[in-house]
Order: sequence, then structure tokens, then C-alpha cells
Amino acid sequence: MTEHEPVRPEPSPGRADGEWGRSDRSGAPPEDWEAPRERWLSTGVRPAFGPRSVMLEVSARLLTPAILTFSVFLLVSGHDRPGGGFAGGLVASMAYVLRYIAGGRHELRAGMPMLPNSLLALGLLLACGTAAAPLLLGHPVLEVHSYTAHLPVFGKVKFASYLLFESGVFLIVVGLVLSVVAALGARMEAEEEEARDGAGAGAGGNPG
Amino acid sequence: MNDVPMLLPAILALHAAAAVLLPPLAGRLGARIFLLAGLPPAAAAVWALAHAPAILGGAPMQATVAWAPALGIAFAFRVDALALAMTLLVSGVGAVIFGYCAAYFHAEERGLGRLAAVMVLFAGSMLGLVTTDNLFALYVFWELTSVTSFLLVGHDDRKEHARRAATQALVTTAGTGLLMLIGFIMLGWAAGDYSISALVADPPDGGPWLTAALVLILVGAFAKSAQVPMHFWLPGAMIAPTPVSAYLHAAAMVKGGVYLVARLAPGFADAGVWQVLVLGIGLATMIVGGWRALRQDDLKLLLAYGTVSQLGFLTLLGGAGTQVAGTAMIGALLAHGLFKSGLFLTVGIIDHQTGTRSISRLTGLGRRMPVLAVAACFSAASMAGLPPLIGFTAKEAALEAFLPSAAPGLPAPVSAAELGGLVAASVLTFAYSARFLWGAFGDRPTVSERSFDAPSAAFIAAPVALAALSLALGAVPAAADALAQGYAHALPTGEKPYHLALWHGVTPPLLLTAAVVAAGVLLFAKRRTVGRIQNAMPRWPDAEYGYHLFIHGIYSVALSVTRRTQSGSLPVYLGIILAVLLVLPGARLAAGLITGEIAVPGTDEGLRIWDSPLELLVTAVIVVTAVATVREHRRFPALILLSVLGFGIAGLFVLHGAPDLALTLVLVETLTTIILVFVLRRLPSTFSVRPDGWGKRLTVLLCAAAGTFIALALWLMTAARTADPVSAEYADLAEKAGGTNLVNVILADFRALDTLGEIVVLATAAVAVASLVLLNRRDRIVDEPAAENENENEGEGPDGAVRPAGPEPAGTGALALRRRAADAEAPGTEPSEHDPVREGEAGAADADEASNTGTGTGTGTGADDEGSDDDRA
Repeated sequence: MTEHEPVRPEPSPGRADGEWGRSDRSGAPPEDWEAPRERWLSTGVRPAFGPRSVMLEVSARLLTPAILTFSVFLLVSGHDRPGGGFAGGLVASMAYVLRYIAGGRHELRAGMPMLPNSLLALGLLLACGTAAAPLLLGHPVLEVHSYTAHLPVFGKVKFASYLLFESGVFLIVVGLVLSVVAALGARMEAEEEEARDGAGAGAGGNPG
Repeated sequence: MNDVPMLLPAILALHAAAAVLLPPLAGRLGARIFLLAGLPPAAAAVWALAHAPAILGGAPMQATVAWAPALGIAFAFRVDALALAMTLLVSGVGAVIFGYCAAYFHAEERGLGRLAAVMVLFAGSMLGLVTTDNLFALYVFWELTSVTSFLLVGHDDRKEHARRAATQALVTTAGTGLLMLIGFIMLGWAAGDYSISALVADPPDGGPWLTAALVLILVGAFAKSAQVPMHFWLPGAMIAPTPVSAYLHAAAMVKGGVYLVARLAPGFADAGVWQVLVLGIGLATMIVGGWRALRQDDLKLLLAYGTVSQLGFLTLLGGAGTQVAGTAMIGALLAHGLFKSGLFLTVGIIDHQTGTRSISRLTGLGRRMPVLAVAACFSAASMAGLPPLIGFTAKEAALEAFLPSAAPGLPAPVSAAELGGLVAASVLTFAYSARFLWGAFGDRPTVSERSFDAPSAAFIAAPVALAALSLALGAVPAAADALAQGYAHALPTGEKPYHLALWHGVTPPLLLTAAVVAAGVLLFAKRRTVGRIQNAMPRWPDAEYGYHLFIHGIYSVALSVTRRTQSGSLPVYLGIILAVLLVLPGARLAAGLITGEIAVPGTDEGLRIWDSPLELLVTAVIVVTAVATVREHRRFPALILLSVLGFGIAGLFVLHGAPDLALTLVLVETLTTIILVFVLRRLPSTFSVRPDGWGKRLTVLLCAAAGTFIALALWLMTAARTADPVSAEYADLAEKAGGTNLVNVILADFRALDTLGEIVVLATAAVAVASLVLLNRRDRIVDEPAAENENENEGEGPDGAVRPAGPEPAGTGALALRRRAADAEAPGTEPSEHDPVREGEAGAADADEASNTGTGTGTGTGADDEGSDDDRA
């Protein structure tokens, strides 16, 4: 689930010309040494709503890692403090929704670790697997096993099987939100685009 | 109990393992994969033969593998004489057929690995079915054979015809199988035991309960064994590859019902309803099958109707419940398994070499394939009941069983009727056996001879071997007789013991056989006259037509129910839900308040204005936004107001010290708002303005009443607690479970099963949303070809058959009705692969379906539906 894009050497020339060429007219820096090496978002930006907003792009770029980290924090701290898999999953999906609003459907697709259906499948597998695993050992369904370890830096750390279960919930919530966003946001956007471009030309990528 | 662990469960596991391991090998081995697939059945047959002496000596083999001991369900196996006979058929004949498959199929046949795997799975299920001693295990194996049979009949899944025949067989056998399961449960409940051997040894007392159970079980058995009026699926299933037909529809699956009847007969044959059903239906099936076999042009269909007839014969014998009938049943069971699969394999060779199996296009095969012709002669003679073959000994025994002097339990008119029916069916059987030989191998000068290659020796080995077995068992009836006696001694004794033998002296059955042969020869010689009579007779009520009417009825009811309940209007749905809420619990609450049954808490019982003055502020925000939301006519501001309302409620949670709830609510509120904004793009910017009038007043009234009810009910319910709350100890328990956040420990530990259910619902909702969108796309694409196909098909029926006129109702049932005219008599007459008309029609069917669903979602406001999904999530 890496969110950080690897540093790009240079945008490929043909595409970059087009992109920057367009922004040239709006007063962006000339294509020279001082030109930025990266864009704020990873794909060509066409936001979901309205005109392009640099504020939104910048905040999406800066906030996404923080939001995702926070969601994982909610997930793991849920047993002792407010949070948990459901809340964590919702927070994580916020990151993607923000990214979608800032950068449109291609940006959404570029940021997804995997397709929403795979997330759902993985989450169900994890949750059901955790639920069923104690059966193999002759214990009741969903029995919780925990183990506390003393790690050098972190001190006392508790590993419990409910964390796996919660991770399943987390993934399913993310998958649900992503598929709803893909269906109601990105898909509709693509259809509108098709309608705009006419039947033949608008063969845009299918984000969902 | 046998101390030695029985090998049988291991052999069954071997079948399953082979089914898993084989498919990947198909590419490398080609058709030789069937030789490997035949190993498990061969092992089972060898195992059965090796233990035959001990089993026939009176010591059934037993083994039990625990499954669900608490429910009395176990994979219990018990191999006695009847099971041994069936095992030899299922696995022995099965192994031979697997060998034949290796020569029959080409390496490039589609789905060869799957075919081999499913066949071996079927062999295993069938073996389990005939050896198990537990009703539930029997049911499981029973339905496994139905499912594998579905896959085998529909092997050529690109043909619409094959798919339909497979579905028909599945619906008939698995559907009635469910009835049978109910019967099993009733029977086992009445007896307090689900072990078949215990049930038969000590049958529960009679009464309507037992009668109902027996009727249900017999319905399942009759459908499986293609008894009238559920016989129609068997000829339809002849679309399957011929070796599959030889296995499923001659040796194995269709015998399942007969086996069950014979298995239960020792315990239940004296029940009144049993006698009526078994004797009546068996007799009718025997005659109908024989009569219809006489008019078939397709050799395979001829055999199929012959099988129907023989299955009626077997059911009759198996259910009669006398020793002689039991002896005859085992004889006939073995005989039929051997000769019918031999004949099917013969047809397969003819079809494979010449490309047709239509009598009117075959000639001179007797000269070109003499060995096969001789083998087929022996098999057919066994079918016709001629000495010295095993079919003869079985038929003699059957006639003996229903001689008025030898059938003690039956009233004289009944046994006379049964005897008459047996003789008539034997005459028909003789005639269609002769017709088969004449049709397959005879010379017809009017038909031009086809050129073909002679079949290889390995190819014809299987039918020759089966014919030789028929002959050997006929010549040495003692082998079959041992099995027969092993089964028959469980039944009530007759006057004198009866053995399968070629010569009993000049007895009434022998004289009857002579009469049968004479009449049969006459019937065959006068076949043109018989054909004219058959054509002149009015068409009987067609069982298959009844099936289609039934299916069509289900479709129509389903469609009309859907049409009435799914109007597609969100306000109507909401209105119905709220009205039901008010009518049922609401009326109860009102009644309780009026009668004083529900106490209204007084002001001293914890009722207070606020806990913290801040609540007043938050409540004011909530009330104001709620009123503003209702009064707002623009969608977007209404949405924003609604979410402010939600955040206000989250604020209440915070003030009450529930950070978890508040956190989740804030997150959900944010997400749904954003997602609804996506949807709003597609909707008009304002709500449609409804005229002031009764409709609007009613809505206001309904909503106000529902809101009042909810508030009132919540207040009264929280005050109505009488027992200690279950959550009182949760805090301590959570500490023990290793978490201090109670809410989360409840979600992930105490009530984790609920959470599991909820996330499954979430995943389902996600898939549903995605598929709604997909559906939207699909009908846009499919619409145009649909219209074209409809026009193309308007005038011409398949094979130029006349179609019933009238408008075509939507749905597959209607399609089936329309097709019936062409298919009724000759399903699968043509081995030809490609039929453009049928393909076109298949396309039309799909299109029909698509346009149906299209209108369904089209009239509903799709976005609204999806939006409601989000709300719930």
C-alpha cells in the first residue's frame, strides 16, 4: 500500500510538452532548468468538479500520507482508544476521495493500491480467515488469541488476532467506498466525458 | 461391526482426488486421460468382487466416518447384497465405459479434462449413493449425482439445446430431491434414527406421517428413475455424449431411484400407499416407455425410451416386496445395466463412424461391422428376454413373481393386471429390440450406403465385453442368483424359494415367454401397420409440456410479483415502509398506551431537561437544520443542511461521552455527503414541486406520525427496562479480553459474529453498486442486435415446424414453450453441431432478458436507488 510516488526522473517528453505547454498559457514556469521535476499529483490533472485548484492539489499531495498514517493509527489503537477498523477504513477512504476530488478519475486510479473488488476480496478473506482459523485448532469461531511482546524500541506491544479481523473490516470499508466512488463518481464522470466527446472519441480508461 | 477399517471411504476419496488432479493432465494425455480416470471405478469394482463372498455369506461390510455426530449424521457405509450388485454395476460397467471413452473422444474435443473429472466425480457420488447407510449422506450423494449429471448432460455447453436439457434434468431430479429430503427427515424423525438399515429392520408405525414421508421419498425416487409422468427429462438428456448416456442413463444414475425403492422395500412394501404408487406408476412407465420406443427413428432415443420402460419394470419388481420379485429385480438390474450400456456403446460406435444414428439413414452395417453386430444381437436378445441370456432368467422370474398363485400379498385382480402389463411390456420390448437390430444393422435397399472406416478393435471391445457378460451370466445364472438370494432373503418369504435359472421345467412363465415372442415377432413384422396406428392415435397429454407450463407459470408469477411490488419510485417505497411501521408496531404501541399496558415513566424516573447546557445549543442547531431541510427546495443546500444535522447529532454523542460513536458518525456523514454530491450532478438542481393537496398532506402526516412514533417508542423502551442490562459486566470482560475501549472490544470480540455479518453486507452492497453501473452500460450495448434478431426469427421455426401462434410472453419459459413443437419427439436427433436458427434464437433469448432488466432499471430512478444504498452504508 505505498502511497508515495517514486521520484520521477523526468516526465516523458511528448506528454510533458503537452501538459506544460497548456499551463504555459496560464503563467506557469518556462520549460527550463528551474521547471519543477514533479507535479503535485501523479497524473494529468482534470479535477472531478469545476476548475483546477492548486490549493486542493497541494493539500491532497501533502495530506494523503498523513491521512493514511492516521487511519492505520486508528486501526491499531482502536482496542484501547477510540478508533478501530471501521473508523480507520473511513479515514483511509477519505484520502482517496480527496485525491479524486483534486485530480479526477485518472488520479484516483493512479492512487489506488488495487482495484476495489480486490480490496473487498482481500478484506473478506482476512476477516473470514481470522474467524475460521480457531476452528482448525478445535476452538470456537472467532476466538481471540493475543500475545504480548517486548520489543526494543516500542516497549510492550500486544499482538492480537482481532487486529487481523479489524484489518479485514478496514479493507472492506475502503473497498466499499472506493467502489462507490468509482461507480457514482468516476464512472459518471467518464460517461459525461463520453457524452461530451461524442460516441467514438471518448474511449476513456475505465477506472472501476 | 467389521473390525477391519473398510477400504471404501478411501476409494471414494480416490474418486474425488482423481477429479481434482485430472483436468490439468488433459492437454498432455488427450483422450487417454479416461484410462486414468477409470482407475478409481476399477478399484471399487475389484474391491467389491474381492469381498463378494464374505458379503454374500451374510456379513455386510460396514464403516463409518463421522461427519456431524451431534445431528446423527455420518458417512456410514454398509455394503450388503443389494449394494454389492449396484457397486458392481456402477463401478464395473463404469470402468468399462471409461475404457471406451478413451477410444470414443478425440484429443481435440472441448473440455476433455472437465468431462473426465466430472465423470469420475459422478462415479464416486454414485458409489457413495449405493453404499451409504445414512439418509442424509444418501441425500448428499444423490444430489451430487444430479449436479454432476447436469454438468455431463450439458457438456457441449455452447449448444443451447444441451444447456436446456441439462437444466431440465437438474430441475426435475434435484427439485424432487428436495421433496425427498423432506420425506427423509420425516421418516427419520418418526423412527428416531437416520440409519437406513435400522429403519428397514424396524420400520416406524404407520399413520399419515409415514404415508406422507413415503410419498415424498417415492416422488424423488421416481423422478430420478424417470418414471411417468416425470420421464421426459431422460430422452431430453440424450443430447449428452453417448458414453455419458451409457453410463448415466443406462448403468448408473437412473438406477438410483430403483435402488432406493428396492432398499426401502423390505421395510415399507406392505404400506398401502407404497403398493399403489409403485405398482401403478411402474406399470404405466413400462407401457408408455415401450410404446414410445417403438416409434423412434433415432437409435439413441429408441434406447432412451426403452430405458424408461425398463426402469418402470425395475421399479415394479423392486417395490413389490416379495422374494420372487426381489430375485427378479436383482436379475433385471444386472441384465439391464449390461445390455443397455452395451447397446448405447454400440450406438456410440455407429454414430462415431458413420456420423448419424438415424434409422432412416443407416444401411448395411451388419455386413460392415459383423463383430459389433453379433455383440449387439446378444445384448438386444438379453433385452428382449431370450434364452440363454441373463435377461431371460430375469424376465422369467418377473413373470413368476406376479402369477396369481405366487403373489401372496396381492389381490388376484391386481396381480392379474400386473401380469398382463408385464406381458404387454415384454411384447413391446421384444418389438423395439428387434426394431433396434433391424434399424442399426439391417439392409434397406432404399437407403444409400455411407462410406466409413471400420472401428478399431479397442473401440468395439467394450460392447463386446458387456455382451459376453450378459451371455456368461445367463449361462451360469448361479453367480447372479447368489446376489439375488442375498437381497431377497430380507423380504417376506414366498411359498417356495425361487432361483434364477434357465430351465424351471415347462412352467406358466415359459409358456408366457413363448407367447410374448410370438406376439413380438408379429408386432415387428407388422411395423408399418403399428406405425400407422401410432400416428392415428390422438396425442397423449405430454408430460414435457406440463413441465414447461409449470416453469412458465413460475416465471409469470415471479414477473407479475416483481412488477407489482417494484414500482421504482423511492417515495412509494419509503411510504410503504413507514406505513407498515405505523400499522404494526405503531398500532401496538397506541393500544398499549390506551389500555395502560405500557407504563409511561413519570418525571421522577430519570427524566431531566439536560445533562449539560451545551446540549441545548446543539439541539437548537439540530432542530433548526431539520426544519430548514424540509423547507429547502434546492437539492444541494438541502444536502448540506442534512449533513449539518448529522454533525449536530455527532455533537450530542460527544457531549454524552461516546467518542467512538461520534467519530464514526462524523466520518460516515462526511463521506455520504461527498458521495451524494457526486450523484447530485446528475439530478435537477431543485426538487420537483408537488402541488398542495391531499397527496402532500398525507406525506406530511405520515412522516410526522413516523417521527413521533420513533421518538415515543425510544423514550418508552429505554424506560421500560426490567432486567439488568447485559452490558453491565462488559467493562470487566473487556479488561480481560485485553482492550479498554469497550465499543471496539464489543465489535471485534464479543459481537464479532455480528460484525462479520455486517462486513459481508458491506461487501455485497459494494458489489451491487458496481454491478448496477455495469448493468446500465450493458443494455445500451445489447439493445440494437436484439431488435434485429427478433425480426429475423419472426417467420421461420426450427426445422420448419409450426409454432403456436399468439403473442410471446417474455422469459425463458415462453421460449421453451415455443420450441417444444420441434423438440417434443426428437430431441437430439441430429448429431450436427451448428444450427444457425437455434443460435439466433439463443441470442434473442439473451436480448429479451437484457431488455427486460433494462426497462426495470430504466423506469426506476437509478441514481436514487444507488443513493439509498449509500445512505445505508
